[in-house]
Amino acid sequence: MPESIKPHPERAALAPLIEALTQAAGEHLLEAVAAEDMDEIALRPGGLLAVIDRLRAHGFNHLLDIGGTDHHPLTPRYEISYHLIAIPLGDNLRNPGRLMNLPRIRLRVFPQDLDPVVPSLAGIWPSANWPEREIFDLFGVRFEGHPDLRRLLNPDDFVGYPLRKDFPLRGLERRFVPGGRVGAVPPVKE
Amino acid sequence: MSSLDLAAFRDNPDIGLERGDERDTLVLSMGPQHPSTHGVLRVMLRLDGETVVTAEPEIGFLHTGIEKQAENLFWQQAITVVDRADYLAPLSNSLCYVLAAEQLLGIDNIPPRARVLRVMFTELTRLASHLVWLGTHCLDLGAQSIFFYAFEMRERILSIMEFVTGARMHQSWFRIGGLAIDVPVGFLDTIDDFVARFPERLADMRAIVEKNVIIVDRLVGIGKLTQHEAIDWGLTGPPLRATGIAYDIRRARPYCDYETYDFEVPTQTAGDCYARFVVRLNEMHESWRIIKQARERFPGGPVVIDDRKIVPPPKTEIQHSMEALIHHFKLVSSGFNVPEGHVYQAVESPRGEMGMYVTSAGGNKPWRVRWRPPSFYHTQALKRLAPGNLIADVVAIIGSLDPVFGDVDR
Repeated sequence: MPESIKPHPERAALAPLIEALTQAAGEHLLEAVAAEDMDEIALRPGGLLAVIDRLRAHGFNHLLDIGGTDHHPLTPRYEISYHLIAIPLGDNLRNPGRLMNLPRIRLRVFPQDLDPVVPSLAGIWPSANWPEREIFDLFGVRFEGHPDLRRLLNPDDFVGYPLRKDFPLRGLERRFVPGGRVGAVPPVKE
Repeated sequence: MSSLDLAAFRDNPDIGLERGDERDTLVLSMGPQHPSTHGVLRVMLRLDGETVVTAEPEIGFLHTGIEKQAENLFWQQAITVVDRADYLAPLSNSLCYVLAAEQLLGIDNIPPRARVLRVMFTELTRLASHLVWLGTHCLDLGAQSIFFYAFEMRERILSIMEFVTGARMHQSWFRIGGLAIDVPVGFLDTIDDFVARFPERLADMRAIVEKNVIIVDRLVGIGKLTQHEAIDWGLTGPPLRATGIAYDIRRARPYCDYETYDFEVPTQTAGDCYARFVVRLNEMHESWRIIKQARERFPGGPVVIDDRKIVPPPKTEIQHSMEALIHHFKLVSSGFNVPEGHVYQAVESPRGEMGMYVTSAGGNKPWRVRWRPPSFYHTQALKRLAPGNLIADVVAIIGSLDPVFGDVDR
């Protein structure tokens, strides 16, 4: 790790917001840290919608990405990470100088291990639809309130969640069955 | 209108014809073999006559598990699979990954020569990618000759790539800590030749397409997005800039000294296919300007950092230094460890904000490499862009979003 953290001009402006966010998360808050690249808040799924509400009120309108991570065998095992930026709307947006050092924030949501469920943001941002389906497909994390939670990258009849750490990299038995595929993947142990 | 129920569609032998109260609709599967879907996109269109009522893109045909593979390779080795995601701009992918790993390792002393070459080659990659887009997009619209102009120019760029890195397509030239090898003798003449030749060729290409009445008619007013919608659908890069938001990572959060280069961020305000078209054409000119400035700087010195724990020693040293041999052996057999942590690194790829959320658990392999693939979000926006247009316009819209399916499906 570098000796000194580079000062980010947007950090100072975010300080009161972080305070408000920790309050919004309430008992669901796990930690709020100033990470090297951006500020981040770790929380339980229960506080997600309240925090997102507060963030949207502060102008965080662009949901950059939703990603999943499996920390197996650590617990909590699954991490759903949200990256957001605030793009100011109004005049002079064609001047790139106005869009320098935009406030960024990362939310890390840790659902419970056995039945991972996270509230869906697809109703708030249409762009959240596919990434949530992808995480459902690859990690088996369910998104409550998602309008169309199906597998995205893998075929609908695929068994297992490939990006879980206990899913093997290779060595799957596959055999061709006329009219469909059976027993493609052994069931994943919880 | 609810999204299409594919399972019901499969069971319905009546090829998707649905009797409505007022109008009948027809479900049409466009792709994955349709030429304008650039390989492997399938769009389920619900049509009323020739007008699209709903569009549901189906992806995953090119899913190769690159993220899973990257987790099972050493930090340095993973560059090879990372390159293969967005196969039209491989060096943008590896730059993003390499910068993220360097941030986790705390390396901030990349030699100036390596930084300049990184900028120069990612911009060359951007040109090559935009040229493929220009050729194929216009081909989709029915223009033939521009394709040959664009690919002739792209071939020159690929020749430079081959000359320098040894590979035309998947260069894997960037390394954590610098570059794999220095540029060969005679490189500067090649790049000078390219820099001198490009503006004229670009002007030729613009003369063919930019004011071409067929292209203008096919693109103006099609696939319009407002700024709010573009943000809600997670667009970045040229589609976002075509709505008048000059959001470019090279300016908004500079890396590799981009803040010291003099270039514009081209924008348009219409937000339609033609605006995206013009933004990309202007971007090509700006990339050329950056390459020219990088060529003018072109400092001497090494292209890798002097850290034997990350970068293997030069071959000549290995032959007579035992310590160098040990370092080389350790790096080849077990790689290096990266301190525990996670970081989000974004670069401006030809398609938009390419981000990587890299998590390290302290081992010699990345624990998780999460992409933020720009094409993924752009393809998703088809759901919003296609309805209300004709089938032929869907072709124009897909082309104007410039998705690359290695990037969407990974």
